[in-house]
Amino acid sequence: MSTMTTDMPAEKGQSPAIKREARDRRRALMLLSPGVLWMVLFMILPMIMVVYVSFWTQTTFAVEPTLTTASWERFLSSSTYLSAIGTTLRVWAIVLVATLVVGYPVALFIGLFVKNRTIQTALLVACVIPFWTSFLIRVIAWRPMLGTEGAINVILQKLGIINEPLTFLLFSEFSVLVGMTQIYCVFMVGPITFMIARIDESMIEAARDLGASFGTIFRRIILPLSMPGVIVGAIFVSVMVLGEFATAASLSGRKTNMLGNIIVSQVGSLKWAFAAVAGVVLTLIIAAVITLALRIVDLRKEM
Amino acid sequence: MLKLSGVTRRYGDAVALDGLDFIVPDDTYVSLLGASGSGKTTLLRLIAGFEEPDAGELMLGGERLDGKPPHRRDIGFVFQNFALFPHLSVEENVAFGLRHRESKAVPAGSDLNDRVNAALDLVGLTGFGHRGVGEISGGQKQRVALARTLVTEPRIVLLDEPLGALDANLRARMCDELRAIRERLKVSFLHVTGSETEALTMGDTVAVLANGRIAQAQDSTSLFTQPANTAAARHLNAWNLIGGRVKGRTLDTAVGALPISQSLPDGSEAQLAVRFDQIGVCEPDQVPAGQDHFTARYLAGEFNGPTELSFFRADNGDLIQVVNHLSNPRLPDLTEGRTYALHFSPDAALLFEGAA
Repeated sequence: MSTMTTDMPAEKGQSPAIKREARDRRRALMLLSPGVLWMVLFMILPMIMVVYVSFWTQTTFAVEPTLTTASWERFLSSSTYLSAIGTTLRVWAIVLVATLVVGYPVALFIGLFVKNRTIQTALLVACVIPFWTSFLIRVIAWRPMLGTEGAINVILQKLGIINEPLTFLLFSEFSVLVGMTQIYCVFMVGPITFMIARIDESMIEAARDLGASFGTIFRRIILPLSMPGVIVGAIFVSVMVLGEFATAASLSGRKTNMLGNIIVSQVGSLKWAFAAVAGVVLTLIIAAVITLALRIVDLRKEM
Repeated sequence: MLKLSGVTRRYGDAVALDGLDFIVPDDTYVSLLGASGSGKTTLLRLIAGFEEPDAGELMLGGERLDGKPPHRRDIGFVFQNFALFPHLSVEENVAFGLRHRESKAVPAGSDLNDRVNAALDLVGLTGFGHRGVGEISGGQKQRVALARTLVTEPRIVLLDEPLGALDANLRARMCDELRAIRERLKVSFLHVTGSETEALTMGDTVAVLANGRIAQAQDSTSLFTQPANTAAARHLNAWNLIGGRVKGRTLDTAVGALPISQSLPDGSEAQLAVRFDQIGVCEPDQVPAGQDHFTARYLAGEFNGPTELSFFRADNGDLIQVVNHLSNPRLPDLTEGRTYALHFSPDAALLFEGAA
C-alpha cells in the first residue's frame, strides 16, 4: 500500500499517549502512597482497634477480649458521662461562637483594610504568638489576671463596682471558655483572612459604584464570599475544642469535665474499654459536626 | 455635563494628572485615548470617587462631585475585569444596584424583575438571568457588567478599557452595540482605551490624554487629519514627526532642509508632521515636481491585510512609516536596504512649534 494512512497497526503496542497517561497515573499514586500508608497504619487501624476494644470486657485492672456491650451500657446510662457530652457540646458551641465573634473582625481588618501583603502576613503571624509560650506558662499567666487577687478583680473593686472578688473568673467553666477562645482564635482568623484577602478589590468598588453602603457591601458581598473561610475555621476550632482536655483540666481546676477529660482519667485508671467507648462517642460527635459544617457551605464549589 | 477643572493627582513624586481640564458634554460618546500609564484609569477613578484629586474640582450638572463617597455620586463604572459578583446569578448581579443602593432602593418584586429583564434585553442577554456568572463567556460577562451599570440609570457611564478582555471579532461587535445602546439611553459614555482605532471608531468626541493633561479633544476626523500638537499626533499612530530648527522659511532637520509654510523665529525648534498615507516613495532622482522630499533607507514591509506598512530608516536613525492601501497602491516595488526619496505635498505637512 503506497498511500498514507492514519490507522496505525494495532500490534505495534500501546500508543505513546496511553503510555504517558499510565505513567502520569503511576506518579500520582506514588505521591499519594506515603500519606495513605501513614493514615492506614496510624489512624484507620488504631480507630478500628478502639472500636473493637470498646466491646471488650473490663475487669478492675485489665481488659479481656471477650465481647460485651457492658461498657456501652454503663456509659449511656451514667448521668456523669452523659453530662460530659453536654459539657463538651456546650463548651464547643460557646468557644466556636466566641472565636468567630472575636476572630471575624480581626480577619476583616487584616484581609480588607491592610493592603500590604507583608504586613498582612506579619499580623497573621502575630496571631500565633500565644503558641510561642508553653501551655503551662500560659495557664499560670491567667492567674494574675483572673484570680481572686488578680487584675480584673482588683480594678473592679477599686472602681467600686463589686465588693467581693468575683470567684467565677478562675477555675471555672468561664476561665476554660476564655482560655480556649484565646488559644484557638487564630485558627478562625487564618482561613477567614485568606478568603477575604482573595476578594477582588474592584468587586467591592463595583458594589460601591452601584450605590451600596459599606454595611450592605459587607452583608451582600464580603460575608458570603468569606463563608468558606468561616467554615474551614469552624472545622479547625471544632476538632480541637471537642478533643480538648488540657485547658479544661488546668483552667477549671478539674471542675469542667469534657469527653477528653473522661478519656484521660479512664486511661489513667487502666479502664481501657471504657476509654474506648468515650473515644468512639467523641469521634462520632466530631464527624457529625464536620458533616454539618460541610452541609452549610459546599467548599468544593466555593474555593 | 461633567466638567473637570485643574484636576491634579500625584502618587508620591509621580504626577499622574497635572492640572487637567476636561468637559464631557451631555448625551455624547467620548473616547479617551492614552498610552498605558498615562493616567486614564486614574482619571476614571477620580470621577467615580474611588480616589480623590490632590487639587482641582469635578462638577457634574452644576453639583460638586469631589469629596462625595462613590455610592452617592450616581456614576456608572464598567470595570476592565468586569468585577462581577461570583456568588450571584446573572440577574442577581444586574439587580444588585437597584436592590441594595443606599437611596431609592427598589424592593424585590415585579418592578425590579421588569427592570432587570429590560436591562438584560438591552444588552442582548434575554433569558440568561438564571445562569451563574461562572457559566457564561467573556463577551457575555462584559454585557452583564454593562447591564448591571446601566440598570441603575447613572448620570454618566465610565468604561475602563471595556473591550480589552475580548477577542477581535467580539470587540468589533461590541463597538457597534455600545454605540447603539448609548444612543438609546441618551446618557454620556466616557470610554477609556489605549487603542487609537477603538477611540476613533467609538467617540463622537475623542480626547487624547498625554503628560497628565488633555492634549486635544475633538471629533475623530478633525483629530485624525488635524492634530493640534505633537502629543496628539503621536497617539494617533499615523503621523511621522521630523524635528529640526527653523532657518528662514525652512526647517533644518537631520534628513536635510525641508520647506515650511509658516514663518517662525529663526533658531526655534519645530516639528514637521506628515501622515503615513500621504508620503509617496520613488527613486531619489525622480521626485515629482512641487513635492517636498527627503531620503531614507527601506528597512522592511509589514503586511496587515487591506494595508501594508513600509518602514524606512532616516540618516539620523529616525523611523519613518509609510502606509499603502492594497486596493489603491501608490508605492513601487521596494528593495530592502536601498535608499529612496520619500516625497509629500507641502499642504500635507503640519508644523508644530517646540521640541519633540
